[in-house]
Amino acid sequence: MKRLRQRLLRDILPPVGLFLFVVLSWQLATVIFRPKAYLLPSPIAVAEAARDNAGQLISAMALTASAAACGFAASLVVGTLIAFAFSQSRLVRSSCYPYAIFLQTVPIVAIAPLIIIWFDYGFQSVVVVAFIISLFPVIANVTAGLLAVDNDLVDLFRLHNASRWQMLWKLRLPNAVPYLVTGAKTASGLAVIGAIVGEFFAGYGAERFGLGYLVRQTSDQLKTAELFAAVIASTALGIGIFGAVSMAGVTILARWSGTNDE
Amino acid sequence: MNDSVNQRQAKTADVVVAADNVGMTFDGTNKVLDDVSLAIGDGEFVSIVGPSGCGKSTLLRLIAGLTKPTDGTLSVGGLLPADARRAWHPMAFVFQDATLLPWRNVIDNIQLPLELEGADLSASRTIVPESLKLIGLSETDATKYPRMLSGGMRMRVSLARALVTNPSLLLLDEPFGALDEMTRQRLNEDLLRIWTEKKWTALFVTHNVAEAVFLSQRILVMGTAPGRIIADVAVPFAYPRLPELRAEANFARLTGEVSARLREASV
Repeated sequence: MKRLRQRLLRDILPPVGLFLFVVLSWQLATVIFRPKAYLLPSPIAVAEAARDNAGQLISAMALTASAAACGFAASLVVGTLIAFAFSQSRLVRSSCYPYAIFLQTVPIVAIAPLIIIWFDYGFQSVVVVAFIISLFPVIANVTAGLLAVDNDLVDLFRLHNASRWQMLWKLRLPNAVPYLVTGAKTASGLAVIGAIVGEFFAGYGAERFGLGYLVRQTSDQLKTAELFAAVIASTALGIGIFGAVSMAGVTILARWSGTNDE
Repeated sequence: MNDSVNQRQAKTADVVVAADNVGMTFDGTNKVLDDVSLAIGDGEFVSIVGPSGCGKSTLLRLIAGLTKPTDGTLSVGGLLPADARRAWHPMAFVFQDATLLPWRNVIDNIQLPLELEGADLSASRTIVPESLKLIGLSETDATKYPRMLSGGMRMRVSLARALVTNPSLLLLDEPFGALDEMTRQRLNEDLLRIWTEKKWTALFVTHNVAEAVFLSQRILVMGTAPGRIIADVAVPFAYPRLPELRAEANFARLTGEVSARLREASV
């Protein structure tokens, strides 16, 4: 109880306080300087816009979230498989790794049109963008985890004549679990960004839309209060998914090293 | 090839580890071992002491077949070390660190060598608790994870893991170097108790002379640059050796003698 109060005072109160201070100053500034609403809407106007378009925002969030989740899941599976291949041979690693870095450095905006040419407008293209953006951290972290095994442990396995398969399954793979968790956290945030960027270019058609489309449409129409609401919703979605993955990671790691087992 | 191996086996029936003029040079220029010859008999407890960098760990890795010597010949049970490891499974190695798998609890860590060797795991249900008990761990420790254990306890688990395959040759590479003196002494006593019972051959690398004198029947003293054996000292004390031995004058005298040898080597 006491620790909870201490944590509240130390970790939660300061950021919440700062948030309230900024929102309050912002509101005050709009009252005093009266900027044009399309330049800087007041926080109250943003809140009203969010309230009036709540249904639209929530359905957009849900669609973006599902595209991000699909891209994220794909990069977890594919990234881990690629890392397996990398861990098995130095030749494979040295010949393919530079091209994996390509995933990290390619400006997604530049290849988005290409993705649309290949996958057409729609959900699948958004998932592909989310997937491409979030793939590299999974590959890089899991590869590191599979290779960063204590030399003595490798010797121990060799001494007991372990097969290549046992070396992978009983040593390298469990060793990579904490690295996978780290990679997944980074990838989850990136997948949300990827989905929103994907939606900028490839919508879902006339009927359905995600946050990316909402951001673009409201900015085109200079509906700045709605734009703010959409941006805040995007951020909230990113934080939500990152938080969920982090919590899953904490649970997995606790089980991994047995703190849950007492 | 086959003939010479057979000859050696016939000639030295009870020699488990034999090295003839073994040398080891890394990267073509860095000579860490030069002209090392030794013979370890079946059931013998032999310690190797030497200053750091004398190649004593390298020698142990060569005997385990983890690396190959660049000069000379080395045999374990009459075979090349790497072949011996496959033909004649129970060779065990204890590292400087406990080297436990952090994601496995105590019992699963101890069981690991049996899994890797493809042993019948139904038998391990009795063997694992036995080695747990042998090394002085309780039932409640069995389900703990390495991070919950002290350094001494972790080393006990590491020993239990080495003993679970019922080895005939146990190679120990400064296993207690990181422990405090009390824990080290207690583990020394436990190790001796188990050795008296099981009579595996032990090759124990350490830089602690008192530890070597307390444990072994014979001490090989190594010198540096390049690493070589400079003395072979017999330890005459009878087993079982009790903790009180450490306070005896003979013990102190022998420890002093070996230390003097070691000092010469370090110059």
